[in-house]
Amino acid sequence: MPTLAKKNDKVVNEFNQYVKPVSLWADAWKRLRRNRMAVIGMWIVGIYMVVIFGAALLPFKSYTEQQMLHVNLPPSFKPAGLVAMGQLEKRKSDLTTAIEKSGRVDLKTDLVRIEAEIIQLKGDIDANPVHKRVYIFGTDYLGRDMLARTIYGGQISILIGLIGTLTAAVIGIVLGALGGYLGGWLDNLIGRFVDIMYSLPYMLVVIIIMSMLPTGSNSIFVLFIAIAMISWLTISRVVRGQIISLKNSEFVEAARSMGAGTGRIIFRHLLPNSLSIIIIYATLQFPSFIMSESFLSFLGLGVSAPLASWGTLVSEGVQGMQLYPWRLLVPAITMTVFLFAMNFLGDGLRDALDPQSKNRS
Amino acid sequence: MSRFIVRRFLSVIPTFLIIVTLSFFLIRLAPGGPFAREKKIPPEILANIMHKYHMDEPLINQYFRYVGDVLHFDLGPSFRYKDHTVNELLGAAFPVSITLGVVSLGLAVFFGTLVGIISALRQNKWQDYAAMSVAVLGISIPLFVVGPILMLVFALKLKWLPTSGWINSRAGWTTIIMPSMTLMLPYFAYIARMSRGSIIEVLRSDYVRTARAKGLKETVVIRKHVLKGAMLPIVTYLGPAFSGIITGSVVVEQIFVVPGIGKIFVQSALNRDYTVIMGDVIVYSIILITANFVVDILYGLLDPRISYK
Amino acid sequence: MTDDVILQVKDLKAYFKLDEGLLKAVDGVSFDLRKGETLGIVGESGSGKSVTNLAIMRLIPSPPGRIAGGEVEFMGKDILKMSEEEVRKIRGNKISMIFQDPMTCLNPFLRISTQMVETIVLHQGLDKKAAKDKAIEMLKLAGIPAPEKRIDQYPHQFSGGMRQRVMIAMALSCEPEILIADEPTTALDVTIQAQILELINDLSARLGTAVILITHSLGVVAGMCDAICVMYAGRIVERGNADEIFADPKHPYTQGLIKSVPRLDKISTQRLYSIPGQPPNVINLPDCCPFFPRCERAMDVCKTKYPKVAELSAKRSVACWLYGEGK
Repeated sequence: MPTLAKKNDKVVNEFNQYVKPVSLWADAWKRLRRNRMAVIGMWIVGIYMVVIFGAALLPFKSYTEQQMLHVNLPPSFKPAGLVAMGQLEKRKSDLTTAIEKSGRVDLKTDLVRIEAEIIQLKGDIDANPVHKRVYIFGTDYLGRDMLARTIYGGQISILIGLIGTLTAAVIGIVLGALGGYLGGWLDNLIGRFVDIMYSLPYMLVVIIIMSMLPTGSNSIFVLFIAIAMISWLTISRVVRGQIISLKNSEFVEAARSMGAGTGRIIFRHLLPNSLSIIIIYATLQFPSFIMSESFLSFLGLGVSAPLASWGTLVSEGVQGMQLYPWRLLVPAITMTVFLFAMNFLGDGLRDALDPQSKNRS
Repeated sequence: MSRFIVRRFLSVIPTFLIIVTLSFFLIRLAPGGPFAREKKIPPEILANIMHKYHMDEPLINQYFRYVGDVLHFDLGPSFRYKDHTVNELLGAAFPVSITLGVVSLGLAVFFGTLVGIISALRQNKWQDYAAMSVAVLGISIPLFVVGPILMLVFALKLKWLPTSGWINSRAGWTTIIMPSMTLMLPYFAYIARMSRGSIIEVLRSDYVRTARAKGLKETVVIRKHVLKGAMLPIVTYLGPAFSGIITGSVVVEQIFVVPGIGKIFVQSALNRDYTVIMGDVIVYSIILITANFVVDILYGLLDPRISYK
Repeated sequence: MTDDVILQVKDLKAYFKLDEGLLKAVDGVSFDLRKGETLGIVGESGSGKSVTNLAIMRLIPSPPGRIAGGEVEFMGKDILKMSEEEVRKIRGNKISMIFQDPMTCLNPFLRISTQMVETIVLHQGLDKKAAKDKAIEMLKLAGIPAPEKRIDQYPHQFSGGMRQRVMIAMALSCEPEILIADEPTTALDVTIQAQILELINDLSARLGTAVILITHSLGVVAGMCDAICVMYAGRIVERGNADEIFADPKHPYTQGLIKSVPRLDKISTQRLYSIPGQPPNVINLPDCCPFFPRCERAMDVCKTKYPKVAELSAKRSVACWLYGEGK
């Protein structure tokens, strides 16, 4: 009979080959770690989470404070006062050239105003400590710090994404598991419902719902429900498929023969075995949720002021993008990098947990 | 085969009815009506207007009246633009959105499959990594980020392309470049990844091994044996892809000021212009249902396992 | 090379580079094939029998596998040293291969006629009409009823056994010297198995084709093969004429295999015999006889060195220390 011996605390067989105990998760973790892009994705997502949710502890400026002296400043490492001065000087010289070229006398009043502002700033610049601030990402049209706004927008977007994904996952898992395990009319009903929801021009219905809300109400709740209502579809289908393929396995039969009821079988046996596929789909659903929410916010139908998500910020940025491109680029790039990293991580997780699924995109 | 077509067609009708019903009641039940935003109207005149548009009848009656009208292809008058009917408003915008949608889808399919094939054939080499990274980027950047950035770079800074308008304006067909590029990006990326995965899987299949074992040249194997089967999943994806493009066009039409249905849609939603919103929803539904239907049939034709039962 | 030997495999090695290590799937396999002979290669899953034959046709997927050594002499040339173009001329033409699962081995999106005609046109230079006629003839030989009609159908319109017949017809359509059949009946019903084996026997006799039959079933081998190679862990452990091996198996593994076949003529009240243990993990295998953990007659030397092959006669050899060193 083949014997296993212990060598250096690892199990070894008669050929002196190491016999590794393999668990699904250990295996998957190893595979994930070897995927360079997924690891980079993991790091990036990690950094984002720490910065965004640890923001309260970190020395960031407030995101609501409006500083009218520092309106629309470009990103810079120089103190705000100097930057503002630079802006004013530039506008003065632009105006002067414009007046000389076109001979428009009416612009002279603007010139006078700017010169007055320059004088006032010169006096203020050393006295007022506000001018010593550094706005790494610049400011917006109300003088709010773009870095703080972007971080805060990240909190909103990511939170919505997380909670929404969790909600969708819970609904999807429950309906998928029930339908898959119990079959019959319940499964048919849920299935038909899913089919119909799939064929609706869904986003449009959401847009209608969001636009129907009386203005000024707290839309975030409805927003959740609206987006969550479609996100659970895919997860429920996937869970249903998994449950159906597992429900006739021997371990389920064994559990049933020991008297386990439906609920117990589903929650303690079938679902844990479906965990890897649930994780995969949840991870892919998360960035998609963030995209949906920001899509709506961009249209003005998502979170409403004073809350601002990345989508809202991009929308604000678009309005001034010709003159103040950083107001668009800062939130846009921040958001894109996060989604990029999440997608790589999701891909990596999928390859790690289910290596046969090389086909599905 | 014809039974397949008929069956598919019949299953479409209940979906359509549900969409219409759902939208109708959702919209009517929302607070605030089409006239609530205007300046105070004297009550008698308001009553008259309501009567003219049958809005003083019970909701159910209004519903049936509406369905009847729709079946006669009459989408009703616009509440907001009193001189126009919904049919007129949408009629002009419809071909615009369709063109934009089809062009975007076409670009997505063409470039997507091309990139997917190249990636699959150069698996794990630099072309593969580069292409797939671009693909992930394509899926990650939201529409409303791509659009403005494209506009910023190509229209405002470089001044190569027009910022807005449509083909019938002075700028001609160049107006369609940026909107369609924006719309197609995520779908191009998805198709590239999908076709790459599909081809790789087919390359590993038993029947490709048989083909090689018969002594066929690799190019023949790929052209004759691999492509046909590998591209079939893409056809299935066309339905949801077109659906997504239509949804995205709502935003893109805003950004690039394209006179399509999307623009009207958002406008009418904000204006509470009931009939226009309903008309929009109906038109969109018809587009999507038709697209899905066509895709289903196409798939059935292409896969011999279905067409030769 | 003697007159009627058409294929000579010498010390063939095929390795696969995996994450866990180097998998030596085939590690020094040698055998001869004579004209018209039926050679059976017997072994468990993982013994390397399929990989050996893929290596002969140079069909090993190149990452992660590679041919690490050896020669395969066919018609005076070494296949392993040929150019890609020359190998392609042989495949499907002089050496044909059929595989295990006819369901997945035919392209579901192309008609049978397309798949058969392309080989004939490629190798025999006939035009499409003549090629199609030839294909119909082959289908008839293979026992497909109404071949003129069925040839235009798709694979899913055939049953499992029928599909394997189509595969055989397709493989023999260019009248190759050698037909390699990799577990042709494993995926089929038992009743169909016998029919297919008989078909292979029949057609190969008629066309003068030599057959390499790969299988894990001794029953299949007994009925059909002239010569047998028994493979274990990537190497041939015993080789010789079928009659001799069945009458007097030398290697303990072969003895175990034969002993485990249930026999109708011996009513026994004892349990069915099965070789104890599991086939080894071939990755990073040390230098020893890979069978030793399961061998009742294992000696100390078996644990430390791979046995030297003992040539018991012109056609008979065993790789076992029990017979080595002139014992």
